[in-house]
Amino acid sequence: MRFFDPHVHMTSRTTDDYEAMAKAGIRAIIEPAFWLGQPRTALGTFLDYFSSLLGWERFRASQFGIEHFCAIGLNSKEANNEGLAREVLEMLPRFALKQGVVAVGEIGYDEITKAEEHAYEVQLVFAREHNMPVMVHSPHRDKKRGIQRSIEVAKNIGLDMGMLVIDHNNEETVEDVLDAGAWAAFTIYPHTKMGSERMCTLLERYGPTRLIVDSSADWGVSDPLSVPKTAKLMLERGFDAKAVELVTWQNALDAYAQSGQIDVEKLLRTPVIDQSQLFADNSVLRGQPPRIDASVPN
Amino acid sequence: MTLTSLTVLDGWLERRLAGRAQAFFADAVAECAAGPTSGRFGEILALASRHVRPTEALAPSDGERDEASAALSGWEPERWTLLETLRARLAIGLAEAGGEPADATLEEAFRYADEGETAALMRSAAHLPRAERFRWRVGEGCRSNMRTVFEAAACDTPYLERYFDDESFRQAALKALFVGAPLWRIRGLDQHLDATLARMALDYIEERRSAGRHVPHEVWLCLGPHGGDRGIQSLAAELRAETRHSIPGAPEHHGARARAAAGLALLRTGASEHFQTYLASEADSRVRRVWNDQSGAFPAQGVFRALELSAFSNL
Repeated sequence: MRFFDPHVHMTSRTTDDYEAMAKAGIRAIIEPAFWLGQPRTALGTFLDYFSSLLGWERFRASQFGIEHFCAIGLNSKEANNEGLAREVLEMLPRFALKQGVVAVGEIGYDEITKAEEHAYEVQLVFAREHNMPVMVHSPHRDKKRGIQRSIEVAKNIGLDMGMLVIDHNNEETVEDVLDAGAWAAFTIYPHTKMGSERMCTLLERYGPTRLIVDSSADWGVSDPLSVPKTAKLMLERGFDAKAVELVTWQNALDAYAQSGQIDVEKLLRTPVIDQSQLFADNSVLRGQPPRIDASVPN
Repeated sequence: MTLTSLTVLDGWLERRLAGRAQAFFADAVAECAAGPTSGRFGEILALASRHVRPTEALAPSDGERDEASAALSGWEPERWTLLETLRARLAIGLAEAGGEPADATLEEAFRYADEGETAALMRSAAHLPRAERFRWRVGEGCRSNMRTVFEAAACDTPYLERYFDDESFRQAALKALFVGAPLWRIRGLDQHLDATLARMALDYIEERRSAGRHVPHEVWLCLGPHGGDRGIQSLAAELRAETRHSIPGAPEHHGARARAAAGLALLRTGASEHFQTYLASEADSRVRRVWNDQSGAFPAQGVFRALELSAFSNL
């Protein structure tokens, strides 16, 4: 099977993870811009971070046959440093329109402050104007109200609900998201948020339509193999292959391909890691099993 | 009519772009000539990817490759993508129309560039007016670990032979081996052969052998006639039987390609008698084929084209 993990922070992960992900069948990923575990203090560090998502990280993923897309945005936590936030928001268009940027994200609320709301609104307007999907991070604290408000504000801005992906859902929030017509994503974490077992139970109740599974693996305790592991459990629990494919591949693809930035045909081909070629289309090895032993230069 | 980079690129793009992509191109050319803000120029570079697929090759015809070298000696566009061609055209157009103020716009374009944009800007560097102003940027490209960026900066362009000093040139040559970029495509390598480069290459070869790793076949290019006895001995080791066994981590057909390369390098040292001995006993028909094509004179770096995986597998 092939998988799409539409939320994973690879800058925090090792090449062992990339290897394991490729082996497990992960073919494509989205890396949304987030914070780094502590707040940044200068515009330049944002610039270099966005730039690395579009540069080195994309190249690094390609060495393992994984297609790397990203979402660019000012996260909710750092939106509270208002002076810096203003500068970052001004700079955003310089990155958000680049090749392979499939969404504005991850944005939304953390403490649900006025400053967070301002940054969220500005970015929603940008997404609407450029016809881009939006990846929304839902808060840990006061999650249910945070999600309701994320949806309401997006509606008021005039964003098509089909362009809205609300992430980090749970049993208590999923109905609000589905009722609004948005995509409901679930982060499968080893200890907190959702586990694969709970996810399966939830899927039994709501079905696979507009539900998306991701790992959100980052610098904390997390598992970049959450998506294939959930797929495995789904099959064991008797879900048909179609349902598994929807929540671990197709739904995320449908949601984010609306950006026009995903070459679906290329994704469907077997990846090739041929270091003598600069791009995969003219490879002589097309169709052979991916080589995941190719090293990243250091 | 004299060919310039700009007229050549325009011709290639006009032949290949159609519909919306052509309209985008025409508008972008006009905007770049009018001196856009650096923010707007960055946007144009980014938006180019929405009109041309990033994986589409330029695939120049032989006639077009001739046009390229007539416009700028040392320019080989055969590994350019169409998107790089479009972006490079816009960067060169901006620089030619904008004079010095455009340099700041280009600097900022480099600063905000993603992987593909960086490669396109690197490809454009040799074509820019006052190209030496971008020496530091191209130097950064030659320090990059992204093979795509490195190759765009260093390979198939006259930039390094024109603007790099010997030390930077040698570093770029070795770096090509580390990132897996084709060393023979660095123009001017044969003119930069010296005892220092040969010594650096031999040190590197010994490091690789001590580590039990394969020796990238292109490193032998660096010896030229300056390897001395140490070079001859090192080459003899590569030409002996043990390279017939595959070394873990080595690329496909490594043993044969390495022998073919070492044989050519032996000719480059001037030891043509030794070479004849190896030629007489070589069993692999592909290696013999590469060697037989040599007239006995100094095989130039371009001969290594035959050792690229796709070429060698088809011998």
